[in-house]
Amino acid sequence: MNDNFHVFSDGRIERTDDTIRLVREDGEKQYLPIERAEAIYLHGQVDYNTRLVSFLNEQGIAMHVFGWNDYYAGSIMPKRGQTSGQTVVAQVRAYDDPDHRLTIAKRFVDGSIHNMRANVSYYHNRDHDFTTALDTLDDRQAAIDDATDVNELMGVEAGARRAYYATFDDILPDDFAFRGRTYNPPDNETNSLISYANSLVYANTVSAIRATALDPTVSYLHEPGERRYSLSLDIADIFKPILADRVIFRLLNRRQLSTDDFESDLNGCLLTDDGRETFTRALEETLDQTVHHPTLDRNVSYQYLLRLEAYKLKKHLLTGEEYVPLRRWW
Amino acid sequence: MIDDTAGDGDDTAPSDDPVDRLLASARDESIEDDVHVTGVMMQYYEVCTRELWFDSRDIEIDRDNAAVARGTRVDDEAYSEKRRHVSIDGTIAIDVLDDGRVMEVKPSSALVDPAKLQLLYYLWYLKHVTGVDRDGVLAHPRERRREDVELTPENEEWVEDAIRGVVDVIERDSPPAPTEKPFCESCAYYDFCWSC
Repeated sequence: MNDNFHVFSDGRIERTDDTIRLVREDGEKQYLPIERAEAIYLHGQVDYNTRLVSFLNEQGIAMHVFGWNDYYAGSIMPKRGQTSGQTVVAQVRAYDDPDHRLTIAKRFVDGSIHNMRANVSYYHNRDHDFTTALDTLDDRQAAIDDATDVNELMGVEAGARRAYYATFDDILPDDFAFRGRTYNPPDNETNSLISYANSLVYANTVSAIRATALDPTVSYLHEPGERRYSLSLDIADIFKPILADRVIFRLLNRRQLSTDDFESDLNGCLLTDDGRETFTRALEETLDQTVHHPTLDRNVSYQYLLRLEAYKLKKHLLTGEEYVPLRRWW
Repeated sequence: MIDDTAGDGDDTAPSDDPVDRLLASARDESIEDDVHVTGVMMQYYEVCTRELWFDSRDIEIDRDNAAVARGTRVDDEAYSEKRRHVSIDGTIAIDVLDDGRVMEVKPSSALVDPAKLQLLYYLWYLKHVTGVDRDGVLAHPRERRREDVELTPENEEWVEDAIRGVVDVIERDSPPAPTEKPFCESCAYYDFCWSC
């Protein structure tokens, strides 16, 4: 139940008997093994009907839609197999209590900065000197405790992220100049890649939250309703360095993506269809990779780590037991 | 001044003992008791008090758990022609055999005591709430084995201690800490408990 299916081509996706098939514009048909599916990602222009939506609902499969420029456009979420009023009440209570909200938000930032630092530290120990960036990250990590409200905490996180992004130009090949983060639209290849990678991490987190009874709109670091599933923004921040950024470094440094995989126009810079497929495949492989989990004492996939993170938050909210964010241990 | 605290037999103040509270509310629907002890709770109490606490809070874990699916299937299929499902007071649901004995079906004999306690609770409830004395049968269809279960005085004491234990656990604000047990890994809450 944890495979993602990505549809890049244009065409039609439909239910046929008890499975789902994709009919490409050239008439070629492809069947998706839905019994293993967690979610379907639509990247192309794809038609579907209500019969498909009902079927996805029955099967508990989410469908994430990526629109123009491959920005996340929205999700078709199956009605939850799991609903729990108690969970939502506990979630909202924690949000409504400023101290409790801040405590949880601090944990998200702690995990996020720790995982950024792990990436920087990796390159520092190879052939870069990132002493300044590491110092800044340590300093920001230490400042988390002093934050007295969520705004201040957001500032701490932003400072850490700036220092982190400042290392990218050294890590990445010269033809992928980054020069800081830009959005809407991204103005160069690296920014475009980060946007796309982050949106995939975000959508995967939405699926992971859906597997619990947590309400994806009630969040702690980000303001609820800021974007549709703001809890996914909270949790995805912890995982972006581990999932998105490491795959970006690897693909660009190994030249598996080149500037030819991007196209620029007046509206910024975007991945080509080929580039998008290359990146998505690499990210899916990473999601399937496993690490040994110290307390579960078994190997778990990166994708399952997302699910565990949602469990951990749910457990904290319902039992009061401490929530410790994922800090890369491997 | 009226002083009715003397033991004149008219004192109807509810007892604090969970067993008395349970019986009072089961016999008289005008007496409310927030805690409804179910047979499954008795079983969880014997297996894992943390699981009992989770169950009392409707904390279900969202995983297709093989053991859970198997238990449901065995319960649905086994002896289906010889037993009738009977629900009493909406509190306990039992299976009654043709000969009047109460049957509890379990997929394996790995956890005998929890299943026995659950069955004994049904017998205890029948005796003390409805005034019906019955014997019980614990069945493990996959192993073609049955065990007769009787409500002896020792067993009655076991049931009543367990009722008090159940109420104590589920009235806590937070669950008992996890403790590693041999069957943890097959539990639906395993990842929930141990993904620290």
